[in-house]
Amino acid sequence: MRKYWEMMKSQIKLDTAYTAWYWAGSASVIFRMLIIYAFWHAVFENRTTVGDMSLQAMITYTMLATLLNNYMSGVGSQLANQVRDGSVAIELMRPYNLLDKLVALDLGSKISGTIRETLPMLLIAYLFLGVSAPASWEAVPMFLLSALLGILIGTQLDLIIGIMAFWLDYVWGLRVLGGAITLFFTGALVPITLFPEWLRVLSGFMPFQSMVFVPVSIYTGQLSGLVALQALGVQLAWLVGIIVVMRTVWSFAIRKVTIFGG
Amino acid sequence: MIEVKNLSKHYRLTEKSPGLSGAFKSLFAPKRVTKKAVDDIGFQIESGEMVGYIGANGAGKSTTIKMLCGILTPTTGEILVDGIVPYKERNRNAKNIGAVFGQRSQLFWDIAVRESYDLLKHIYDIPEDEYRKTLQMFTEVLELEPLLGTPVRQLSLGQKMRCELAAAFLHNPGIVYLDEPTIGLDVAVKSRIRQFIKEMNRMRGTTVILTTHDMQDIEEICSRIIIIDAGKVLYDGSLQSIKDRYGDKRVIHFELELEEEFQLPPDLAGKAEWTPGETGTVSVAFSNHVITAADVISEMLRKYRIRDLTISDSKIETIVQDIYCRGI
Repeated sequence: MRKYWEMMKSQIKLDTAYTAWYWAGSASVIFRMLIIYAFWHAVFENRTTVGDMSLQAMITYTMLATLLNNYMSGVGSQLANQVRDGSVAIELMRPYNLLDKLVALDLGSKISGTIRETLPMLLIAYLFLGVSAPASWEAVPMFLLSALLGILIGTQLDLIIGIMAFWLDYVWGLRVLGGAITLFFTGALVPITLFPEWLRVLSGFMPFQSMVFVPVSIYTGQLSGLVALQALGVQLAWLVGIIVVMRTVWSFAIRKVTIFGG
Repeated sequence: MIEVKNLSKHYRLTEKSPGLSGAFKSLFAPKRVTKKAVDDIGFQIESGEMVGYIGANGAGKSTTIKMLCGILTPTTGEILVDGIVPYKERNRNAKNIGAVFGQRSQLFWDIAVRESYDLLKHIYDIPEDEYRKTLQMFTEVLELEPLLGTPVRQLSLGQKMRCELAAAFLHNPGIVYLDEPTIGLDVAVKSRIRQFIKEMNRMRGTTVILTTHDMQDIEEICSRIIIIDAGKVLYDGSLQSIKDRYGDKRVIHFELELEEEFQLPPDLAGKAEWTPGETGTVSVAFSNHVITAADVISEMLRKYRIRDLTISDSKIETIVQDIYCRGI
């Protein structure tokens, strides 16, 4: 365990090495938040509700969803690159589990991302963009737990796409497709409650809404009490299921490793 | 320490026909070919040996090393490294080996070298006092002191390679694989690296498997060499015996003014062989036991006008070159 902890710390150190990169990332998130803010203000110009959500509920939802969606990509691309250029070979010579290492690195960068990006943004969102406070006090711990589960699900899905590089060599196309699908079905773009009935049912059978929609809805109070607990259970089940799938795929991938270069 | 029996590794490659149409064709009906990267090889390496594993580019060296490391699963055959089957127990094997790949960095690119070493300490569970002692010694021998605080990406190639080498030996592994550790380095750094490797072997009895294209590395470090070509072992034995066996072979390269096609002077027939080089040049190979260099030259002078000549002596370099080109 100790070594993975140290890896996570090293990733945080590494993140502090690139300050320009960090500011560029923050700027793009602020920009996105402003666009969404303007967009929903325009939509609500001549009406007071969309679906059954007021402007303030919508702004709160979309801002949090945008911030949370930021966490959904991760080390999958790092793994895919390592597979493609063959440097995964060196990783496999080390006495650790590469997947665990990648998850540790991912957590590291997400922790530093939270401190440097999400928290300041959240402050801006509260002060200037009219984001409301959590629906209730008990929603806070539930939201945090749910967000953590959602982020972990996102990380694992990202890793699965990365592992696909063992078969496909180049997974850029798959990533773009995956990105588009998740952006939509996670509810990061619009709340799933606004989807037409059949699409809502469909996304109920997919893990994506556990990533963004569930935690944010717990925050806004759309999911509360027993329903919220149930949603947490579903998240946990998805997480466990996806981890099992990923480890299985991984063990196949490892057996298939063929690294060229002499 | 290392036992390899009937080891083979075959790759399945997709062969692409040339051009755009070929690219599309292979998209729908890929043509598969099997490449035998390693083809039924076997050898045994004892603890503390320093073995040069050499062969031309693409001979199968790196593939063998990767199988020994447990990164690649062999198609057929057996490997046993210190009692462990590497591809089955990759993690256990990994604790006992170190490696340097000259073409790839294994230090962490963006953080200071010292931080990389600290991380390795945790990864390999090196006890703190042992770690500090080892690092201090490496710092002295390899002169790492000014480099420790620098991120790897800012190091020169020679500095980087010294750091890589220290990383490979840091956890005191029983076996170290060095895959072209001196590639692209200047003479001074090369010599320091060779000294370090020999020192490690002497002090800790580390088994070293070295692949390189620099025969000076081999001559200074290894007592035994294994030559492979096209996936097969061509030679396995001591450096001295290959010198004894082939060391009497000499080659003289002639630059001639030819008016007609070259023919070996009649007195040399049966005593020497010749191969054509670039236009107007001819290489004559012979054995010291059969005929002297002076005789070869005088026979050639009698028949041809010689513009220039060079004599290759029997360094391991030329021996190996000869084996690559003509076989054993």
